[in-house]
Amino acid sequence: MNSVDASEHYELGAIDLAPSLLTVVIDTNPHAWAALEDSLPLSKAVANILVFINAHLACNYANEVAVVASHSQKAAWLYPVPNSTSDREGDITMNANGAPAQMNKYRPFRVVEEQVTRRLKDLMDSTSSDDLKGNTSTMLAGALTLVLSHINRRTIAWAEEHGGASLEDAADSGAGSGANRYSASNDDERLQSRILIVSVSGSSDSAHQYIPVMNSIFACQRLQIPIDVCKLSGDAVFLQQACDATKGIYMALSEPRGLLQYLMMAFLPDQRSRRHLVLPTREDVDFRAACFCHRRVVNIGFVCSICLSIFCEAPPGGACLTCGTELDIGEYDVKPALMKRKKKKKKPANGTSAAGTPVSTPTPGP
Amino acid sequence: MAASTSRPLEYLEGLPGTTFNKLYQQPSTALAIFRRMLPDLAKCFVMALLYLKDPLPMADLELWVNAESRKQRDNAISILGRLHILQSKLSDEKVRTYVVTDPFATSLRQALTGSADTLSFGVLSNTPDEYKISIDFLDDYARRQWEAVLGYMVGTSAFEQRGPRDGASLSEGVKQLLQAGHLVELRGRSVDITKDGFGFVLQDVNTQVWHILILYVQTAEAIGMDSVEVLSFLFLLSSLELGRSYEKKHLTPDQVRTLSGLADFGIVYQESPEATQFYPTRLATTLTSDSSALSNPVTGSMGPAGQPGSSGSGFIIIETNYRLYAYTSSPLQISLISLFTNLKYRFPNLVTGKVTRQSVRRAIEMGITADQIISYLLTHAHPQMRKHNAGHSTSNTGGVPPSVLPPTVTDQIRLWQLERDRLRATAGFLFKDFTNFAEYQAPCQYAAEVGVLVWKSDRKRMFFVTRHEQVAAFLKNRK
Repeated sequence: MNSVDASEHYELGAIDLAPSLLTVVIDTNPHAWAALEDSLPLSKAVANILVFINAHLACNYANEVAVVASHSQKAAWLYPVPNSTSDREGDITMNANGAPAQMNKYRPFRVVEEQVTRRLKDLMDSTSSDDLKGNTSTMLAGALTLVLSHINRRTIAWAEEHGGASLEDAADSGAGSGANRYSASNDDERLQSRILIVSVSGSSDSAHQYIPVMNSIFACQRLQIPIDVCKLSGDAVFLQQACDATKGIYMALSEPRGLLQYLMMAFLPDQRSRRHLVLPTREDVDFRAACFCHRRVVNIGFVCSICLSIFCEAPPGGACLTCGTELDIGEYDVKPALMKRKKKKKKPANGTSAAGTPVSTPTPGP
Repeated sequence: MAASTSRPLEYLEGLPGTTFNKLYQQPSTALAIFRRMLPDLAKCFVMALLYLKDPLPMADLELWVNAESRKQRDNAISILGRLHILQSKLSDEKVRTYVVTDPFATSLRQALTGSADTLSFGVLSNTPDEYKISIDFLDDYARRQWEAVLGYMVGTSAFEQRGPRDGASLSEGVKQLLQAGHLVELRGRSVDITKDGFGFVLQDVNTQVWHILILYVQTAEAIGMDSVEVLSFLFLLSSLELGRSYEKKHLTPDQVRTLSGLADFGIVYQESPEATQFYPTRLATTLTSDSSALSNPVTGSMGPAGQPGSSGSGFIIIETNYRLYAYTSSPLQISLISLFTNLKYRFPNLVTGKVTRQSVRRAIEMGITADQIISYLLTHAHPQMRKHNAGHSTSNTGGVPPSVLPPTVTDQIRLWQLERDRLRATAGFLFKDFTNFAEYQAPCQYAAEVGVLVWKSDRKRMFFVTRHEQVAAFLKNRK
């Protein structure tokens, strides 16, 4: 009789496990990498990341990958390259004539590797020294947005290909159904997407992008896309919050040379496997925010009571910079008026009676 | 995943350790086995250990997995052990540790980094063809050959339909292989499909291909070919790219022989047996994918005729009142459906019928199991059914994953089978004669956790398991 219990006939349905889409954001900020030159140069880090990407692709035939570089003044696709059909053809002919060493590599691995390295080189070559002067940050917000739009596109395309449950829901209720499209259908049925940020820049650099970054994070949270952060140097406030909000993994590497092992152990398992694993967690998440007026990271600030914008100092004229509401800041900057204590004359009478009774009576002495 | 992997997995497990050693020399084999045969968690373990310098202590691995997922962990470790991928060693400090075994680890690393010099992933052919072989052509070729094989099995049996014979020719080798695998039987001049054969034709294409390939390897041994070479060639095939031609001259003679054998099944294509290059078809390149990845032109066109571009491969709709509608005009599919359905009407692109107790029992008497019927219905379910049922059941079943088929129908088909199936034999091992209850209970509990326990009796202090290796190892460890 065992064969008719409920546990078995659902197992059949679970055969079709959706593949996962890994999107990697590589922070290519030249200033930060220059500081890391001794322990882990960019070339080595990219080589490690490529092995990691191959490992991801090896896990499932249908697994996908996307790589975005978050450079100092722009974010750029490394893989897949938009409208690259002509490029790819060129690739193939080149290899066919080229060295037979290429045959030792599984083709999907090779395609990713070649595109990433070539595009990365192009990106570096196109960076002039003028671009770098006076700009020490990285376009994290742009990269995150690119990645999110890619995930969105792939998720919809994948659902369409596989006759997913969510097609019509997504179509008929429009923008409001964004969450529906991802979360209403069974978790295992949709494309499993996640974002990995390999970050090197410090927090103060990215503070000026506070609002777009946080918006991307909230989008991920809503779409249930975990953001994993592999921090090679520095410590970014917002990325900790990103992992915390999206249930991703945050790891600051104490030894950047071991990057590959960290990647393989902590970041390779996809959402399904993560359910079975004990993941590295963080207790001390830095929840500080950046103010809207000067992009400073603040511990204590002013918050608009209407739109919840944060300011490091009282906005000029008492009007919120975001929503324009006239705020009644009142007597700001004035020392709080101290209430004078009541005259002590009355206290002794009360004090002695109150303090005297409990203390004096229960001491019978030894 | 579990259902479709089981057969090749079982076969591989039966191989001796030295064979694995030889197999794992090839990066493509290591990659294919890693991708195809392992459960998710096992993949995580392998990857985590792959670049680790020192062996990982067993306790650390256990800590890494959630307490609730012990069953999955033990299952993963047991599969890894059976495939000779993971080895447990006693380190110098007397700690039990895990390490990925060597030929496998080296090969997988080479596959990931592409550092090997073994031409393991095939050699692309440079010589241009006189006329270009397109992917469409390959799909069509694969479909025709495969349908011819199935048609040969089904069409020549007692059913009214004849298999489609649009130009595809079946060689003697194919027929002999099907006989050797007991999928068909030769009775005088006529060919009869066997019970195994019924089970075979109802499976999804990916499983069928694997079934045939394993059969092929087994018979290859019998006629003196090296099974390791054949197997590693099969895994090599799975890593090739669709629509490109590959050189033959780097293959060994046995592999060239295999190649022409596989061409008859439509797994590879070559213009003539003397050609210097070959093309893998989609049947080959999706070998290491899960069954879901095969919802492509090959399976698609096997179902509904005339709409190859439509997404998804399904064409069957079954309702809670057991009525079945199949949008197909393929004689092969119709005769398959008629195995377990009372067909009523037939239209140019649609047949309708009803699944009844009688029709299911008839199928079961022929040797088809309820699970096979259900998995056939599931793999060919119409996209509309997937969409509809998956969308609905999230709201009402709460926690239970939605099923595509109506649960009433699947349950009833199982019940109909149970009416007949009162006894079931399970091959396995009986553990008995424990001296006291505690000694009995620990291994018994362990067996249950590992998932091999079939039956136990606390009173008699006996239990019955399907495989004994792990329980034996457990008992040994305790002593």
